[in-house]
Amino acid sequence: MSTLAVIARREIRLALRNRSALITAFIFSIWFPVMSALSIAVGADGDAAAVTAGIATITLPVAVFLGYIFCADAFLREKRDGTIETLLCAPVSLQRLWEGKAAGVTVPAYLMMLLSAAVSIAAISGLTGVSIAAEPLLLLHFAAVVPVWIAASAGLIGAAQLALGMRENQILGFVFIFGFIFLIVLFQQIVPAGSGISAATEAVLAVVGLALLALARFIAGKVTKERIVRTIP
Amino acid sequence: MEKSLFFTSREEIYPYVSHRSCGKYSPHNPRYLPHSLSILHRAVPEEEAGVNAVEVRGLSRSFDGREILRDVSFAVGHGEIFGYLGPNGAGKTTTIRILLGLLAPGAGEVRVLGRDLTADDDARARVGVLFENNGLADRMSAADNLAYYAGLYGVEEPAARIDDLLALVDLADRQDDPVGTFSTGMKRKLGIARAILHRPEVVFLDEPSSGLDPGAQRMVRDLIIELSRREEMTVFLNSHHLDEVQRVCSTVAILAGGRIRAFDSVTNLTAASGRPAVTVALADPGERARACETVEGLPFVTGCEPDGDALHCTLADPGATPDLVATLVGANFRIEEVRRSSRSLEEIYLEHVGRVEDGA
Repeated sequence: MSTLAVIARREIRLALRNRSALITAFIFSIWFPVMSALSIAVGADGDAAAVTAGIATITLPVAVFLGYIFCADAFLREKRDGTIETLLCAPVSLQRLWEGKAAGVTVPAYLMMLLSAAVSIAAISGLTGVSIAAEPLLLLHFAAVVPVWIAASAGLIGAAQLALGMRENQILGFVFIFGFIFLIVLFQQIVPAGSGISAATEAVLAVVGLALLALARFIAGKVTKERIVRTIP
Repeated sequence: MEKSLFFTSREEIYPYVSHRSCGKYSPHNPRYLPHSLSILHRAVPEEEAGVNAVEVRGLSRSFDGREILRDVSFAVGHGEIFGYLGPNGAGKTTTIRILLGLLAPGAGEVRVLGRDLTADDDARARVGVLFENNGLADRMSAADNLAYYAGLYGVEEPAARIDDLLALVDLADRQDDPVGTFSTGMKRKLGIARAILHRPEVVFLDEPSSGLDPGAQRMVRDLIIELSRREEMTVFLNSHHLDEVQRVCSTVAILAGGRIRAFDSVTNLTAASGRPAVTVALADPGERARACETVEGLPFVTGCEPDGDALHCTLADPGATPDLVATLVGANFRIEEVRRSSRSLEEIYLEHVGRVEDGA
């Protein structure tokens, strides 16, 4: 097994045993889509295409936030308790360590996102009576675009948590909450109600996601072991 | 044949280091005396012959304008148990972090197994480390934690190795329990097992007894000696538990005020008290004062004072002990025991650290 798989598998196992993170993610995965379903149902006014677009739109910030929840365990906790220092001494590059952790965060966040999407579809279907078909673009959205966004957000947040001190990480947490709200508003502007989901919007989202992933990789490549060790509390 | 980058031998810079103990045993505990050096010493690759396990030369490092390490130099031979002593904040952990490539040196050079570990994955695979944090995930079982590191280090036949180590550290019956349910001592034992899981040639132990009760400290101490003997590795022990270091280590360096204040074998350091001295235990301790009066005028005795139930005599000449004993016996004192006095590592440590604190 490659070291990337070893690291990712461990992070997945740890995430699945982290009761508090799982409960937080579970509540968020249920609560947020149910609350969003109301506004989507009103805005779509029975239009199946608008409902599909609404679901696709809302799943991205949800996915990013779920990534943030699991990052706290994979990156920040290990830094806070000093475990990261031992890992940095292993015969694995910092880049590979970051990749493995980001991959390990992506899997549970993605599973939770699928739960959230299912809840969204069920809630909106129940409220509007609109039957949401297994539209290929929506499936593509869940299968390809969303995982890239989760990986990108996990990578960016993880790199930041490794590089920043504890106080800066607290500030990052607040910034992220506001960023989350901003992201929802932004998506609502980009994908207006009634416009539906299109290959163009999916392509744009995929390209932006990949660009964010590349940015995360670039930033992680700039983080040094010295920077991490000197910001361990 | 590649030679050491820094020193062709330790004696080159530390000519007073005459005692090159093998370090696979406590010099104070004959139980660990080696049967044969050739059996005990792990084979050093031919290309690394002449290279010390750890080399530090002219190392300096500052943080935010504060100089932590100043021109620190020392070397640790293969197979030694090396004690790195110093008060809190002296720079011990900083030295280890620089050696492990986690921090960059401000000036000077460091090598472990002749290599710079900063970006050398192969060399890092030959080194183990235990920081104050044990590097374990509380939510994973003991066996799973070790399996993770076995995967990172590419340990061959990991299951057998893990079983072996868990049995060694007496945790076999708890291998499936989450580490979060372990006591501090159990976590420490598991941390040591983790640090040596991949059979490193050099292992860095940073305060392995920190926060442990005396029983657990002894357990860790015995474990270090046992592992060193069994696994045949160089041990770099960073500690301020002087008793532990004196019992376990063959060589020590004392770091204070950012500089190395002493570097020698424990035997040499504790024996070098300036003047030879002996402690004489009398059958009747009540005669100590009279015995002192008897020997104080002798030309080869420079001083005599009661020391507990015995006499502590300093001598002008180390060969004068028989003359001292003959004088006491001739004066009808009954002697129970005569032993050569040596200072404890604690005395030596406090002397060096005290000098620094006094600004000397």
